[in-house]
Amino acid sequence: MKTLTKTLFENYFSASSGYDELLTSKMGIKENWKVLSQNLLKIGSENLALKQTEINWLLAENGVTYNVYNDPKGLNRPWDLNVVPYIIHQKEWKGVEKGIQQRAELLNLILKDLYGKRDLLKNGIIPPELIYAHSGFLRACDQIQYKKSKQLSVYAADLARGPDGRLWVVNDRTQAPSGMGYALENRFSTSKIIPELYTDINVTQPSNFFNDFNQLLLNSASNNTESPMIVVLTPGPHNETYFEHSYLSSFLGYPLVKGNDLVVRHGKVWLKSLNGLKQIDVILRRIDDTFMDPLELREDSYLGVAGLLEAVRLQNVTIINPIGSGVLENPALVPFMENICKYFLDEELILPQIASWWCGQEKERKHVLADLPSFVLKRIDRSNRERIYFCEFLDKKALENLKKEILDYPYKFVAQEKISFSTAPNFVSTHLEPRKILCRTFAIAKEDSYSVMPGGLVRVAPEREELFVSNQRGGTSKDFWIVNDVPQANLQNYSWNKTSSSPATGLNDVPSNTAENLFWSGRYIGRALVTARYLRMVLSQMTHAQYTDRKPESESLKILFQSITKITSTFPGFMSENDEVLNNPLLEIKDIILDDTKIGSFAQSMQSFSSSYYALRNLWSRDMWRVFDGIQKHIKNLKKEESYSVYKLTNFFDKIITRLIAFMTLTEESILVRQGLLLYFIGLQLEIGAMNIEKFRALLIVNYDEELEYEILESLLNSHESLNIYRYSYNSYLSLENVLNLIILDKEYSRSLTYQMHRLKKDIDKLPKINTTNELTVCQNNINMVISKMESLNVKEMLVVDPESNMRKNLDNSLSELSDLLHTTSLSISNTYFNHSQPQKQLVNRNITT
Amino acid sequence: MIFDLWHKTKYSYEHGASFCHNITTIKPKSFAGQTLLDYHLEITPTPTDISERLDFFGNSVTRFSIQQHHKELVVIARSIVERNYEEQFDEVQFLKAKKVTVAETKAHLKQIDSEIIDVRQFVMPSPLITNGNENIAAYASLSFKPERSFYEATYELMQRIYTDFDFVPGFTNIATPLKEVMAAKKGVCQDFAQIAIACVRSMGLPAKYVSGYIETVPPEGKEKLIGTDASHAWFSVYIPTYGWVDFDPTNNQIPKNQHIVVAHGRDYYDVPPLKGVIYSMGKNTMEVSVDLRPATSYLNQMHSQSQQ
Repeated sequence: MKTLTKTLFENYFSASSGYDELLTSKMGIKENWKVLSQNLLKIGSENLALKQTEINWLLAENGVTYNVYNDPKGLNRPWDLNVVPYIIHQKEWKGVEKGIQQRAELLNLILKDLYGKRDLLKNGIIPPELIYAHSGFLRACDQIQYKKSKQLSVYAADLARGPDGRLWVVNDRTQAPSGMGYALENRFSTSKIIPELYTDINVTQPSNFFNDFNQLLLNSASNNTESPMIVVLTPGPHNETYFEHSYLSSFLGYPLVKGNDLVVRHGKVWLKSLNGLKQIDVILRRIDDTFMDPLELREDSYLGVAGLLEAVRLQNVTIINPIGSGVLENPALVPFMENICKYFLDEELILPQIASWWCGQEKERKHVLADLPSFVLKRIDRSNRERIYFCEFLDKKALENLKKEILDYPYKFVAQEKISFSTAPNFVSTHLEPRKILCRTFAIAKEDSYSVMPGGLVRVAPEREELFVSNQRGGTSKDFWIVNDVPQANLQNYSWNKTSSSPATGLNDVPSNTAENLFWSGRYIGRALVTARYLRMVLSQMTHAQYTDRKPESESLKILFQSITKITSTFPGFMSENDEVLNNPLLEIKDIILDDTKIGSFAQSMQSFSSSYYALRNLWSRDMWRVFDGIQKHIKNLKKEESYSVYKLTNFFDKIITRLIAFMTLTEESILVRQGLLLYFIGLQLEIGAMNIEKFRALLIVNYDEELEYEILESLLNSHESLNIYRYSYNSYLSLENVLNLIILDKEYSRSLTYQMHRLKKDIDKLPKINTTNELTVCQNNINMVISKMESLNVKEMLVVDPESNMRKNLDNSLSELSDLLHTTSLSISNTYFNHSQPQKQLVNRNITT
Repeated sequence: MIFDLWHKTKYSYEHGASFCHNITTIKPKSFAGQTLLDYHLEITPTPTDISERLDFFGNSVTRFSIQQHHKELVVIARSIVERNYEEQFDEVQFLKAKKVTVAETKAHLKQIDSEIIDVRQFVMPSPLITNGNENIAAYASLSFKPERSFYEATYELMQRIYTDFDFVPGFTNIATPLKEVMAAKKGVCQDFAQIAIACVRSMGLPAKYVSGYIETVPPEGKEKLIGTDASHAWFSVYIPTYGWVDFDPTNNQIPKNQHIVVAHGRDYYDVPPLKGVIYSMGKNTMEVSVDLRPATSYLNQMHSQSQQ
């Protein structure tokens, strides 16, 4: 044991300065941590390193990310979880819990008062500037009061252990606190990867807390209390905690929506879903206050919903937390909390806070300015990113500037005592190191009190002596254990009674923006794939014709080149009067591949696909992201090439096609049909069908001589990936009749047009019906017309050649009719199911006064 | 004096708007000295829903939405307002208030009293009157000396703005920063009101923004044309023992019976006559016309026209 202690705990004792969670003042291990330390020693440093790798891998696999702006690691930084948890004993936690409940209640009362009677200001408990100068005090929210007993539903407190050994409140978070989902994911990850860490330790599970959270959401609806419709509102994939938004949305089982998925009509909030407008009763929002309503709050916000505040005023929707609760995120309230507590509750504050001086008061300001370097200065609101001045590190000039700012706007600043908070063990490559930590825990309104999460999210400073602990600046996290002397019900059951909220996860409730993006993802990837395969086939025919040695005299190559232009609609291209294009076909092909400004090009399809794809990232798996990234890299590399050869381009398509197919397979297995994958399939089938029709029209209409026809048919089957199947099925010389039978009429063959159209019909039949009657929808009628046209096709008729034009006019007419019918079908789907809102704007507002 | 007030705002959308949410702050206030006798708001197309409430500052705001496709939005507010400045003005108190100095005002603001607490928010920066500008403070300090009467100092500030600034429509818009207005010394009434407010606040004193209308008198011998007026704006300062006193720096006068008050706010941002969010493509344009005239003459004129 001693030797083991040496490696794992090596240097820990000497490295530790100040208050440490693990160490006693006599350099022993504290009672609470003894079992955990033994477990850690038993697992051993080598094993811990392995476990740490496994945790990192699992988190990456689960797509747990945290977006950091301007981060060199890219937009999606993997979430870091240290293998060593942080622990607090239940006996201590009980007291903390009471303190959190008290503070949540106080903040709730303050919130109610500030947007109500404002007695705190009128009675001189809080100076008015402290509120009126805070950007979180929203005058538009004045007098908005929910009918429920608590205005503040969710509260998060950042706690840290002070030099006196007690847990202090460091920050209050009241708008849309993040971290709950990460905390839960941390717990799942540690118990999955290192169950041996829990040996002989009784850890309280947070299942009751999450049950309370779900109940809170269900009980928050002011109308429709029977089956409230609840959504999670996110600013979108660029937000730093987007992972958590989609995580909570799927964990709780409520749709994840963005502002433009919602609309206010008749003073109510509606979700634009596949099945029309659905009234929303409760919004769990992850958007900051001022972005919630561009009509009454920030005009430049595209994240919120215009008219939302009015719907709130009319009590037609409940926002959690209420808009305006950001006013409580004010460190200048700290010096007044004792008095507020006496005023409202006639109690003493339970949890200690950091000694603070609000500069809006003369005496306090003088005290602060007299010895500025010894304080930590904060603004009372977080107008941008939180800005903290550690004055001891400021140079003379910076101090002068700060001093001037304080004197200009004293009420905007609050000074805090400099405190050294405790450290806890963190596993770093082979051993434990003491690191500064910050614990975030959560409280949820429950009846007349608050339910507190047992544990929470612990964040660790990135470096040893780092003062600042925040995920935004990097750093890792820890699981947070509340340990008990007696065994706990090891309940990790989250399948609570969802009341009538379960239908919220069906196809009917897919937001129509999501549905539209899925539809277009399907169309564009289908287009990209068919284009890629066709171009690859032509490139390979060019090698056969030994294109590199002689001019393309081959008639078949000319037909193929021209068909590229027709299929991709990149006119004039090879159809140009100018012979130059045909004489130098590689140049035109290169453009069709890489020129993303050319409508119909491969690059343009990929670009359109990316933008639909990006908007849906919460639905895709991490593997899909990796494959997609690979595709983008290949395109980028090809662009960098100085010269292009048939070989290089063929090679490019070999790689791209494999990846596109891998991507499509991953899509099909990662997204559920009821999450909207149905729309992706519909888009995909529609596009592939339409492209195939164009292919047939480009190659099969003109009646060529036998030899040429053979070459063309072979090329067609090649690009259709059907040559082997043909040989297997017909075992004969290529004949047009057999080819038509196989790729247009065959009912069993998955690449035949008939098969594809039936599949499309099956999917369209599954789309929600807006009217509950049994009538067919417009979309169903349209696809039925496609099917009956398919069924009327007759191979003999199609083969007939019009002697005058030497063309198969019947075939051409039928294909052209089918193409139109498919187009109508696509339009009817778009008109019926997608959200056609026009861009949001502010009314012109020019100077109109005299 | 009874006025007939007619305020029309017309928005035209190049490609139409599918949907809009709007808020208007155009209903004149009632208080001692001003009574709203009749008010009618006419919106075309007819709003799907409409509601009226008092905002944080006690102004009446109307919110409405139109949920059908429309190419034009017309909002006409028609008011009959009676103005009687004598009822508003308390001479005895006023003579006392005139003596209150700048220093005394500041001391008075330290009280904890429901009215003073409300007043104190008008000392702080506001959305359009943000950071202190040294030029503004320097400009203000010429008038505001601690031992001087707050009223006299403000009166002088109003006069100086009237003399030093040029009335130039089109030079500024609502987004023009105050320091640019201060540097160029050009603008329109709302700029002058906001410059004045910034000056008063830079001295640590309370000032607020007033939006409303002013009756314009046609050149002698000419008939007044309908629709030639516009919205107007001025400012107000809080003088202890008396209350809020209005000043019009654009016209260098204390607003009396020719001024109709619509709303109060920290600055223009709090009280735009009409704002909204629309869903549309293409360009949008706006036209405004205001007509304010004594009710009798307006009625007479309408009467004579209908007989032609």
